[in-house]
Amino acid sequence: MTSVQSSRTDVAGIRRPAGMLDARTALLPYEGTLDTRFAAHLLRRAGFGGTPEMVRALVGAAAGNAVEQLVHFPETTAVAAPEDVFDPSTVYEEYGPRGLRALSDDQRRELQKDIRQSEVRSMASLRLWWLNRMLATPAPLQEKMTLFFHGHFTTAAIEKGVSPLMVYNQNQLMRQYALGNLRELTRGLSKDPAMLLYLDNATNVAEHPNENWARELMELFTLGVDRYTEDDVRESARAWTGWRVLRLTGAAYFEPRLHDDGTKAFLGRSGDFDGDDVVNIIFAQPQCARFFAAKLLGLFVYDNPEPELVDGVAALLEKNEYELAPTVSTILRSNVFYSDRAYRALVKSPVELVVGTYATLGVPQVDPSVLPALRSMGQVLFAPPNVAGWPGGENWLTSQMMIARQNFLAGLVNAQIMGASSWLGGVPMDPPDATHALIGALLQDDASPSSYARLKAYLAGDDTSALAMLNGENFQERIHGAAYLTMAMPAFQLE
Amino acid sequence: MKRARFLLGSLSGIAVVANADHVFARALAAAALPGLPGTENRCLVLVNLQGGNDGLNCVVPHGNSDYYRLRPTLAIPQSQVLAIDAQLGFNPLMTSFKGMYDKGLVAVVQGVGYPNPDHSHFRSTEIWQTAAPDRYEHTGWIGRYFDESDLPESNLFNGVSLAPILPEVMVGSKIDVPAIASEAAYGLRIDRNPMQRDEYTALIHDERLPFTSPYLPHVMEIEDRAQRGSEELPKLIGGYTTNASYPATPLGRSLALAAQIIGSNIGTRVIYVQHGSFDTHVNQVAVQNRLLGEFSDAAKAFYDDLAAHGNDTRVLTMTFSEFGRRIEENGSHGTDHGEGSPLFLIGGGVKGGLYGSTPDLSATNMGNVRFTTDFRSVYATVLERWLGRPSAPVLDGTFEQLAIL
Repeated sequence: MTSVQSSRTDVAGIRRPAGMLDARTALLPYEGTLDTRFAAHLLRRAGFGGTPEMVRALVGAAAGNAVEQLVHFPETTAVAAPEDVFDPSTVYEEYGPRGLRALSDDQRRELQKDIRQSEVRSMASLRLWWLNRMLATPAPLQEKMTLFFHGHFTTAAIEKGVSPLMVYNQNQLMRQYALGNLRELTRGLSKDPAMLLYLDNATNVAEHPNENWARELMELFTLGVDRYTEDDVRESARAWTGWRVLRLTGAAYFEPRLHDDGTKAFLGRSGDFDGDDVVNIIFAQPQCARFFAAKLLGLFVYDNPEPELVDGVAALLEKNEYELAPTVSTILRSNVFYSDRAYRALVKSPVELVVGTYATLGVPQVDPSVLPALRSMGQVLFAPPNVAGWPGGENWLTSQMMIARQNFLAGLVNAQIMGASSWLGGVPMDPPDATHALIGALLQDDASPSSYARLKAYLAGDDTSALAMLNGENFQERIHGAAYLTMAMPAFQLE
Repeated sequence: MKRARFLLGSLSGIAVVANADHVFARALAAAALPGLPGTENRCLVLVNLQGGNDGLNCVVPHGNSDYYRLRPTLAIPQSQVLAIDAQLGFNPLMTSFKGMYDKGLVAVVQGVGYPNPDHSHFRSTEIWQTAAPDRYEHTGWIGRYFDESDLPESNLFNGVSLAPILPEVMVGSKIDVPAIASEAAYGLRIDRNPMQRDEYTALIHDERLPFTSPYLPHVMEIEDRAQRGSEELPKLIGGYTTNASYPATPLGRSLALAAQIIGSNIGTRVIYVQHGSFDTHVNQVAVQNRLLGEFSDAAKAFYDDLAAHGNDTRVLTMTFSEFGRRIEENGSHGTDHGEGSPLFLIGGGVKGGLYGSTPDLSATNMGNVRFTTDFRSVYATVLERWLGRPSAPVLDGTFEQLAIL
């Protein structure tokens, strides 16, 4: 431990050397209770934030109790499923194989065009459905993890034959395992039709192995680059041969005749492995636990976590046999989670910015205009840029994307959107009180005195001759303008 | 105007106090840029022919019987081809372009591609833009060129993407490149609201925040650049006038704006524009001919505009496309995803003519045109001979240069 002189008390009230991690205590439970900042921090990280009322409900709670509520979330099967997720196989069924063959080239083209249009429409409603689910769910942590898995085990629709229904089913699989077992989820995804098509495992046959899935499974999904050899990729690809997707129905199946049942040498072991064996062998590697530990820390705590911290979480994953609930619970109640270092240390992804803004304002439903806005901000759900997902972090910070982010916020100053807020209408009409209410609710007071003064002057109309004093007539417009200006401040971009 | 004064270029260590005076920005932008002597004013314009441009109906092998045999409904009749020689010629809609070729302003590099070609649009696009066929790279080759070149980080427009979304090719780790779909679309909504504008400016520059975050300085710098960029661009390029008549197409509008940015001398080194989609799986001829005609006319108007302002010898335009298409036509009067295809380099500094091997339609790779020139050879040539920078650090290796420049 370094000298007392260089240590300081961080926002969690923990004395530790500035900029250094105390690995011994980092993952121990934070003993304090939650104040407004911590409560909002927890709601943002374990979900998408919440209204001032939801924040207040956690203030004074012990961190452990608050986390308990979030991790042991209620059953969410009652949440409405999306309507009409398009499934092209219903069209194929209508025609039947013989009917399809009987089509002329022109008719077939027409059919393909119709299917494509239905798919595009279906994807737009699916995106809105998910954003609304993130916003309205009683289990935000479940959606947060589903979003994380979507960026991690990526699949894009509608390309490579991945239909809207397939990608929705994959989304449900990820939701089912949100805080479940990572190994089981990986096994499930390996046989998921969308994944089989997206990474070409559906065309991986004994005679011509296709290594795409076998490679990404290790490189991007479980171990990280350079943690295996090219031979491991080849042998793994052999183990995965035989999985197919029936185009007409969209169902996955295993075709033993196309499977290579010979002996494979994989990651130091050998046997007549199949895909499940490959997953088990991968998850037995200590590197696999470290790989997911770093990802979970990057999701919940901060980017580029220290190796000691990664080792600590990796040990938790191994102890819990890759069960996520106890691991995530430990992270969310830990000292490091409430440390200065973790506070507002992540850049909001566009989806987090959009859903988080609606959640914080207490607007119950997202406006369809968020879809083009998210496209400009660089994040289209179910269409990650490539198999490596969204790079995130500072990659969200380009001037063009910032313009899109700020324009999204400015677009909320629209009576129909901000007027639907559960609490903006109740902000006091007194400019100093309104200033405190807005900066408190939207930024947890993370603004400087000069910004308070600016906003108060704007609300009072005493800084710009063009603005009248705050009064009953201009109240709504002025409060909405002030709420927007508050969200335009730098802290709002960070979570 | 109540406007906060702030520090520019904090990352690069250059502390320059800026204000809204665009003369200052222009002076800073026009400061000498590193590179070979004589390359300071040079600009590269990238034209992405999105979707996979069919090379064989663009630069047509009209002397090759295999071409006519494998494309019974798609082949361009010999009589319509704008012949370069007895073997090759341009698509009939490319008359303006052929005129430029005849003046020695166009280099055609044939059979360009890369090893182990990927047939997915998104992956192959990424490979061309990152110049990294064998790994997943988040920076583009132009982004890495920016990073390597010590360009002034305070200049808002070292690179400009004339597209709604920043393409991966322009992504670097030091230089921020604005994506400008059109001059009208590039702007903060707040700029249209004078009641809140000054407050906004002050609040995004709040430097005494009661928390720390590794991303906070970056957020603030980008917010500042976003605001200044959208405010300054119209002032910086507003003085440019032109008599050039561009076709009223998206590409025509993009290239008109590119010429305006170049002619305004604001220190822009690379501009990205896109055209397409060339993904012609069905009824290819109608779609591709229209797109090639649009390209040809816009490229000619662009060159004429540049020439009228004396900028033709300092601008190099280069096309690329994620892949060519299958040699044999499919059952829908179209072609499926392929491999090697030609690309064009256009400008007063180009050594016009045909380069690379003409596709051998008999020695194919599963029905595809085999690549004979690695696209990284073209990039290396452009980096070394046009932009005056070493190519190895950008391309992660050394590639043979071509005699096109």
